[in-house]
Amino acid sequence: MAPDSAGQKVGGPGHSRGVPVEDTLPQALSEGRHLPTTSGGDAPYLAGWDHAHCFGHDERTTMDHMNRLLTSLPVPVPRRLRDAGWGVLLVPVALLIVAIFGRGVPLAVTAALAAAATLVVPAVAADLVATGVMFLGLYATFLTGWMILMFFQVIGNDYYTLYSGRGLLAMNAYSDWFITSIGSGVVRDVMTSALIMAFGVWLVPRTIGVHAGLVQRNAALTSRVTRLAETRGTAVDSAAAELRRLERDLHDGAQARLVALGINLRAAEHLFKTNPDAALALVAESRVSSALALAELRALVRGIHPPVLADRGLADAIRALALGSPVPAEADIQLPGDPPAPVESAVYFAVAEVLANAVKHSGAGHVHIRIAYQAGMLRVEVTDDGHGGADPAQGTGLAGVERRMSTFDGIVAVSSPPGGPTIIVIEVPCALSLPKICSS
Amino acid sequence: MRVVVAEDLFLLREGITRLLQAHGCDIAAAVGDGPALIQALLSERPDVAIVDVRLPPTFTDEGLRAALQARRQVPGLPVLVLSQYVEQLYARELLADRAGGVGYLLKDRVFTDDQFVDVLRTVAKGGTVMDPEVVAALLARHSRDAPIARLTERERDVLTLMAEGRSNTAIAQQLFVSEKAVSKHCTSIFAKLDLPPSESDNRRVLAVLNS
Repeated sequence: MAPDSAGQKVGGPGHSRGVPVEDTLPQALSEGRHLPTTSGGDAPYLAGWDHAHCFGHDERTTMDHMNRLLTSLPVPVPRRLRDAGWGVLLVPVALLIVAIFGRGVPLAVTAALAAAATLVVPAVAADLVATGVMFLGLYATFLTGWMILMFFQVIGNDYYTLYSGRGLLAMNAYSDWFITSIGSGVVRDVMTSALIMAFGVWLVPRTIGVHAGLVQRNAALTSRVTRLAETRGTAVDSAAAELRRLERDLHDGAQARLVALGINLRAAEHLFKTNPDAALALVAESRVSSALALAELRALVRGIHPPVLADRGLADAIRALALGSPVPAEADIQLPGDPPAPVESAVYFAVAEVLANAVKHSGAGHVHIRIAYQAGMLRVEVTDDGHGGADPAQGTGLAGVERRMSTFDGIVAVSSPPGGPTIIVIEVPCALSLPKICSS
Repeated sequence: MRVVVAEDLFLLREGITRLLQAHGCDIAAAVGDGPALIQALLSERPDVAIVDVRLPPTFTDEGLRAALQARRQVPGLPVLVLSQYVEQLYARELLADRAGGVGYLLKDRVFTDDQFVDVLRTVAKGGTVMDPEVVAALLARHSRDAPIARLTERERDVLTLMAEGRSNTAIAQQLFVSEKAVSKHCTSIFAKLDLPPSESDNRRVLAVLNS
């Protein structure tokens, strides 16, 4: 696993290495957004996350939205406008106003093009709004400055002094100018520039918001696509590796034994009349060989899809796993339904791996497996009372679990301070179906 | 001995039927799915039933469920469950009613037909027989601080064979010791496991398995 590209996060919130990812698990935990657990086991959690390694992305906040965006292309026009913010509609409105005031055919064409752009590419429209308003603002500033100069020119000229007879300090100068010059076009221009300024001041932060939103969404989409390509790649690779392993196991194991079985039986056939004792020995050997072949096939099947999982679903399969564990393990499972079969299988093997790790390396005397489901998230928590110090970077076990879960947008977090306890949390988003079988 | 056989694979069903007939058993019914099994169990009331865990129509643990359901209606109805794999979870479910007359074996134990028929008779008489794999996993599980850890190697061997449903005589033969030595081991085992010596072997094995 390439740590940085996968957005690995070390040391809990605030110590991010690589891509800063919002809403990682330790953060979610420290903010108390994790699922309520059945016992008061939260305290060691929060303390433990100081030493936490958390790897994997967590884009679940944006993920739903992204999925919608990705799956519903081409997006209908009203939806695009809603996504971009209705504010972009101000572009054609503004340009239409310009077109009317300008009374030019090229301006009208520009306005029509801008309106079309708004509907088709809201991001471009948002940029247009920002650029347009900047130029309008500049224009308005020049205009206003010019108007002010004109104003002083007006009150300073002969026309004014002639009728007022008082000069620049006259108290009624303003009202006089106002009355005498109304309708001259100067007031109208000043008011227009003021309006444009106000409009610009109001509009710029909004278009910037729209633009920023679109850029953010684009970045999120890009990272999501990269992530999906990555996880799909590893999923395909590991599936292929798994198939190769199965082929090899079958070839060297059960298949070879069946060949030997056939040869032995054929030899026994020949020996039955001439040397019945030898034939009998061969047949007995064949029986042993067939039992061994069966045992190998059984082990293989367990590795592909455990029978209890097929029979009873995830909850009982995990209970069976706990029962079969050499270190006493306790399973506390609250699932209102069954996860989809691929998720079920991935979670099962992840728990099996984590449990095997605990048994092999932790020196634990007890393991607790807790599984719950809330708000579209399946959460698995495996705690052992061993000596801690589990490092996902060392050994392939936990990295394999992470790889397995990442195909389903699942995340894996490990808290294993020296001296223990080791807590491994797996979260995977999924929907539950109604239970296959009601437990009796 | 009247036997009901439930197995969905035709060849295996025929094979088991023939094997049992060769050993003088009477086949009351040979069925291929869950509902038929329940009906056969309740109408035939056999001395013992041989049940495959995975049966149609669901192809999950239909056979086990049918057997458990029948045993709820007829407590202690002897059932020998066969499967391609053994699970402690299922072993526990079978043992949960503590009524005895339960066996749980891997399918390939049928190969050693003499032993298989012995097991069948043990179950029919109300004994409890667990596959060596179940017993081995159980003994491995309590490797650290459980009372089972206090047993000696030989005592473990005896307990394993006992859980597999062997009689003291059979255990003595298997381990090449005298029957007296076996019963001495038994006493020692029960003492170490804090089990009252008055109970029958069957009950005591159950207690160990359920611990």
